[in-house]
Amino acid sequence: MADFSGHLSLRAAVRAHGRTVLAAQSFRAPFHLSKPYWDADARTLVVQVVNPTAGILAGDRLESDIAVERGAALLVTTPSASRVFRMRDGSAASGQRFTVADGAWLEVLPEPLVPHRGSTFRQQTEVAVAPGGSLFYVDQLMPGRVAHGEAWSWSRLTLAIDVRLDGELVLRERFDQSGTALRDLAALAGSGPAACFANAVFITPGPSADWRPELAALHDDGLWLGVSALRRGGWSIKLVAPDAVRLRRALRDVRRILARYFPRLACEVRKL
Amino acid sequence: MSSAPATNTDAAWLVGLLQAGDSFYPTGSYSHSFGLEPLVQEGVVRDRSTLRDFLFLSALPALRHSELPLAAHAWRVLGAENWSRIGELCVLSSALKTAREARAASENIGRQRAELAATLRAHPLAQEFLRRATTENWPHSSAISAGLEGRVLGAPLTAVLAGISYTTISSLLSAAMKILRLGQNASQSLLIEALAATPGIIAAAETTAFEDIGWFNPWLDIAAARHEAADSRMFIS
Repeated sequence: MADFSGHLSLRAAVRAHGRTVLAAQSFRAPFHLSKPYWDADARTLVVQVVNPTAGILAGDRLESDIAVERGAALLVTTPSASRVFRMRDGSAASGQRFTVADGAWLEVLPEPLVPHRGSTFRQQTEVAVAPGGSLFYVDQLMPGRVAHGEAWSWSRLTLAIDVRLDGELVLRERFDQSGTALRDLAALAGSGPAACFANAVFITPGPSADWRPELAALHDDGLWLGVSALRRGGWSIKLVAPDAVRLRRALRDVRRILARYFPRLACEVRKL
Repeated sequence: MSSAPATNTDAAWLVGLLQAGDSFYPTGSYSHSFGLEPLVQEGVVRDRSTLRDFLFLSALPALRHSELPLAAHAWRVLGAENWSRIGELCVLSSALKTAREARAASENIGRQRAELAATLRAHPLAQEFLRRATTENWPHSSAISAGLEGRVLGAPLTAVLAGISYTTISSLLSAAMKILRLGQNASQSLLIEALAATPGIIAAAETTAFEDIGWFNPWLDIAAARHEAADSRMFIS
């Protein structure tokens, strides 16, 4: 099977008419882009990053670099879950870099990662936000192919993110748990055998958090949701749901509530 | 044969570590449950059995992957007085704690430990650390300050990490006795069981690379975030 050294580079900029465009783009398989869509209501450009192969395979090395310039607004999403397939030998790795300029907006909202039995995958994400820039970044994780009775059985899964604001580290998270350890934690917390996770980082200028009580009120009946201030400049929003459907609904609710304060989060992600 | 009295330097740092790890030492840690109270409020930790699960599934892994490696790196770079790296470690320690209460607990205890090392022992390394932390606006950290204490006392790395492990686990169990129906013997037996796991954890933490530091339990972070707005609480965190 062919190994891929995939590459994606995007630069979003605002033009004189006020719309965001992709001022520069380049990509190589397995990355592909669908035609960008301008959401006139949310004043945000929507870009779907498509992986036309079945998913992430042993030997894949994926590198992406997405920059949003001053005044531009970009939402990057994927049309479907990213499956990480079983690897009898080797591993796969993804390096992601996002740069947000002063006065720019970036939302990163990919569909969940689904690690299959025996997969080995490392994702390293580096985010740099300039003062005055805004970021809503979400990672979602499913425990596996739950419908096939396969969960928590990856060989090794490492998800690491560093977020810097004005060059200073404001968040590092490093997920490197074994499936067994996470399954046992889910059982202890009563989240069940198909627990799914979403980890959101919200960097926004200004200290106002009027939205926080409403968001916190979503925590109920099996859905865990917590909001806490980062050391500076933003918020950590974490969700755990008993299944993927509940997680999707909760994330939709989070975006809906926040959109009243941050209208660009009303941007339609245009999924079927 | 020498008639000079023998000086046991090991005993000097050992008694110093015992003092720094004692509940009598005024670090303020008694007012924190380190995430346990929030998890009790959420109904996750209810008894000895679920407390044991929390210890082994969350508290010990957090020590293994975050606090002990941070302290190990701090102990080493403080020995070399590599101040820029020390500043990076302070920021990293703060950035690893996404829940505000957990971060504040570490900062408050860390500040107190560093100030005690500087004032009670009048040690130049601790005084220089405090000066730089103030002028360069480094966030304080209980792990970094524990590494500093180790250097001030002249304690070897493994002993410093053992001291952190003991203090962390015993503080957690002490808090548990105030929140749960848990007797002295039940908590002591858990302490023995958890401490038996620490040599392996310490050995692994000593070799953890800077870029591999970090670990999180999403339920703990969520519970800690919710604790910030709890109607009633016994502990600050």
